[in-house]
Amino acid sequence: MRATSLMRHLEFILRRLLTSLFVLLGVSIITFFIARVVPTDAASLYAGPKARPEELARIREKLGLDKPLPTQYAIYMSELLQGDLGNSISTKRPITQEISDRLPATLELLFAGMFVAMLIGVPLGVLSARWQGKLPDLVVRLISIVGVSMPAFFLGLLLQIIFFRNLEWLPLIGRLDANMRFVSPVTEITRFIVLDSLLTRNWVALKDALLHLILPAFTLAAYPIGLIARMTRATMLEVLEQDYIRTARAYGIRDSVITYLYALKNAISPTLTVIGLTFAFALTGTFFVEIIFTWPGLGLFTTRSLLNLDYPAIMGMTLLGASGYVLINLIVDVVQSWVDPRVSLN
Amino acid sequence: MKRFTLFLSLLVALSLVLSACGGGAAPEAPAAEEPAATDAPAAEEPAAPAAPSVLKIANTANITTWDPIASFSTEAAYMANVYEQLLKVNPPGSAEQFTPLLAESWESNEDGTVWTFNLRSGVTFHDGEPMNADAVVKSLDAARTSGGASFIWWMVDSIEAVDDLTVQFNLSASAPIDLIASSLYGAWIVSPKALDAAAADENYWANGVEAGTGPYVIESYIPDQEIVFQKFENYWGGWEDDQYDTVLVQIVPEALTQQQLLESGSVDLVTSIPRENYGSFKDNPDYTYYEEPSFFNYVGFFNTTRAPLDNAKVRQALSYAIPYDDIIQIGVKGLGTQSRGPVPAGVWPWSPDVNQYTYDIDKAKELLKEAGYEGGGFSLRLTYAAENATHEAYAPLIKDAYAELGVDVTIEAIAFGQQWEEAKGDPANAQDMFLLLYWPTYSDAGSDNLWSMFYYTEKPFFNLSYWNNPEFNTLVDEAIGLTVTDPAASQAKYVEAMNLLVEEAAGLFFFDTKAVFIIPNSIEGFQYNLNYPFVQYFFYDLRPAK
Repeated sequence: MRATSLMRHLEFILRRLLTSLFVLLGVSIITFFIARVVPTDAASLYAGPKARPEELARIREKLGLDKPLPTQYAIYMSELLQGDLGNSISTKRPITQEISDRLPATLELLFAGMFVAMLIGVPLGVLSARWQGKLPDLVVRLISIVGVSMPAFFLGLLLQIIFFRNLEWLPLIGRLDANMRFVSPVTEITRFIVLDSLLTRNWVALKDALLHLILPAFTLAAYPIGLIARMTRATMLEVLEQDYIRTARAYGIRDSVITYLYALKNAISPTLTVIGLTFAFALTGTFFVEIIFTWPGLGLFTTRSLLNLDYPAIMGMTLLGASGYVLINLIVDVVQSWVDPRVSLN
Repeated sequence: MKRFTLFLSLLVALSLVLSACGGGAAPEAPAAEEPAATDAPAAEEPAAPAAPSVLKIANTANITTWDPIASFSTEAAYMANVYEQLLKVNPPGSAEQFTPLLAESWESNEDGTVWTFNLRSGVTFHDGEPMNADAVVKSLDAARTSGGASFIWWMVDSIEAVDDLTVQFNLSASAPIDLIASSLYGAWIVSPKALDAAAADENYWANGVEAGTGPYVIESYIPDQEIVFQKFENYWGGWEDDQYDTVLVQIVPEALTQQQLLESGSVDLVTSIPRENYGSFKDNPDYTYYEEPSFFNYVGFFNTTRAPLDNAKVRQALSYAIPYDDIIQIGVKGLGTQSRGPVPAGVWPWSPDVNQYTYDIDKAKELLKEAGYEGGGFSLRLTYAAENATHEAYAPLIKDAYAELGVDVTIEAIAFGQQWEEAKGDPANAQDMFLLLYWPTYSDAGSDNLWSMFYYTEKPFFNLSYWNNPEFNTLVDEAIGLTVTDPAASQAKYVEAMNLLVEEAAGLFFFDTKAVFIIPNSIEGFQYNLNYPFVQYFFYDLRPAK
């Protein structure tokens, strides 16, 4: 029984992996051809507006733009399979390097944001369900609506004004204070500053990095908090109606135990899906947050690439975003099937 | 019991919210009790006497490349502190036109076709290589054959090393090589060793590698984040005690964020503050407010290849209908002056003798009538670069003004790349009006602005009016030829050409912008130089106030 269950899990994961690969292939084809159909000349973007024709011809040859489209796609794909996304037009650096330089910053923000979102969202949802229709419920529902509907750029600026300008409690922008390099430089290991400073026991930098994380993480978390709270509330309400909860109550088990132990455990599965999806959503949400907080991650880079029509960079980022989405979905599906055996593996 | 659970739940929720606001991610340190991290080290700094003097700058400028040969964009803000040209052009009104940098003296033959530069001796590049005639030849040959701004050297036939410290330029046409060699782009002298290394590895410069002779070296570079400069101990200009040892540049794209950093003392200098907030600094005794002429101007091109804009009377009418003062007020909050032709004020060959249109709606209507378009009745498609907020602000004024003439304007904000593509295609299908922010590559707006934007060539460079006037072409050719040998005659020709341009209304000449600098009084030595518009600060000039 157990062996077949494991086999079915493996088969499920394998099947999902295969479909994921097809999705990514499709994304690569679409982004490649959209980038080529857009009415801009990559060579003139590369060379700048004042370039002369001879120079454009030289760059066209260098970028391989003088070859027919299918050939260009074949070259692009073969380079892609070797992990080469080409060079950015605006920074002239390899896109894989641009991504790997910035990914840790974005992931650090993303993890912090999702951590905050779960830490606040789930208890709020439980609270709201527990006191359905009462004051706590109303407050939580208000918080979720505000969280879901307040645009990140507005909330971010608001938090900056309050916590930087007025209260002077928290830093304005960036991952680390600029002076840190003189005061207590962080040794790069993983390039997650929080982790690196923790590993090297650099408490000064750790504290500074955490302080820098608070506002952006909270801004990023606002939307997921609302969503998670509402989802948890809905599923909790459903679960609290179930017979076994009533039975538990009849046994005189404490309300808090019922709510937090029995009900929450069974209500968490759909919330997990939501968390997974918001995780992927938050990946794009980091773009706004990164701009507001000058957070040196992928968002800042992508925004600039879009503005400069830096199509190799845009393609690379689209592919990365799609991969992230596919991967997170895969993880959610697998975790869900593991947490809740009722979820069908078909 | 129930009440207790409610209390407990509320308490949990409250503590969660609080911890999220105050220290959700920092459980060990409630933020409320800590001073802002940005303040703390700044306050400690003076306490350590051995600490190097650090200048902190927030700059908007992106780095599109660290390749000094290819560079043709905003990174000049940093690279101009690392690399040097043979000469530097002084701001208008200076006693001398040039400051010698890597050249000590220079001269040209009578007709300006052979130039000789004597180089400074004993200068070394940051990588230890000697700066000599061979290095100059190698750098400038690379710049003129494959550089981002290679075209500035179009008239150069060859550059030779006469001896170890003498370089000779042989030209196919008379040209002001002193001005060209001072160009911000395409004129930096780079270590030959580094050029060889870069030829072998196309990503050689990518991570902030440099090999100049300038006062500062790049110590580290983190993309989109920061650049750290250290002083170059062996700089030929020498060092005084109070110059900065270290310059820390934070790349901060948002102007409002920069303002907050400046006001909180987190940085010493910024490059960009929202225009609407200038007022608060003007009146603040802690800051000096500079409002200076700049290299930039806003122009509009009429598509002169098809009706009705092929008719000069129509173009004149449309030039009279522009509310220039309102456009300056709305576009740049009054920080501009109405242009006299396409040359910005303060840049050669600008002249007060060039005519302007003034707003006169009746005259505009009359001219339209004369042209056979009484009451307008045609429509125009206007494009501008969506990235530019100034165009976005004033373009609607053009639409409103032309509506009064019965001319309907459709405004299209598109990405500059796209706008450019369309304009460079077949003029018959191109836009009717093209708004552009322009600046000369080096301090000669005759051979640049006038030539680039209105000289007719079969494939237009920036002549997006597609204007074809042989008389104008002749005048510009003659003026360019006289620039070195007889500047006064050259300028007279330019003025004649510009008045022809204005008379024929080949384009709209909106305004020259002003550059604003807000410098805290804690910094001394700032000097604005309009010839280097992308270099806000030459670090070497700056010192802490005593």
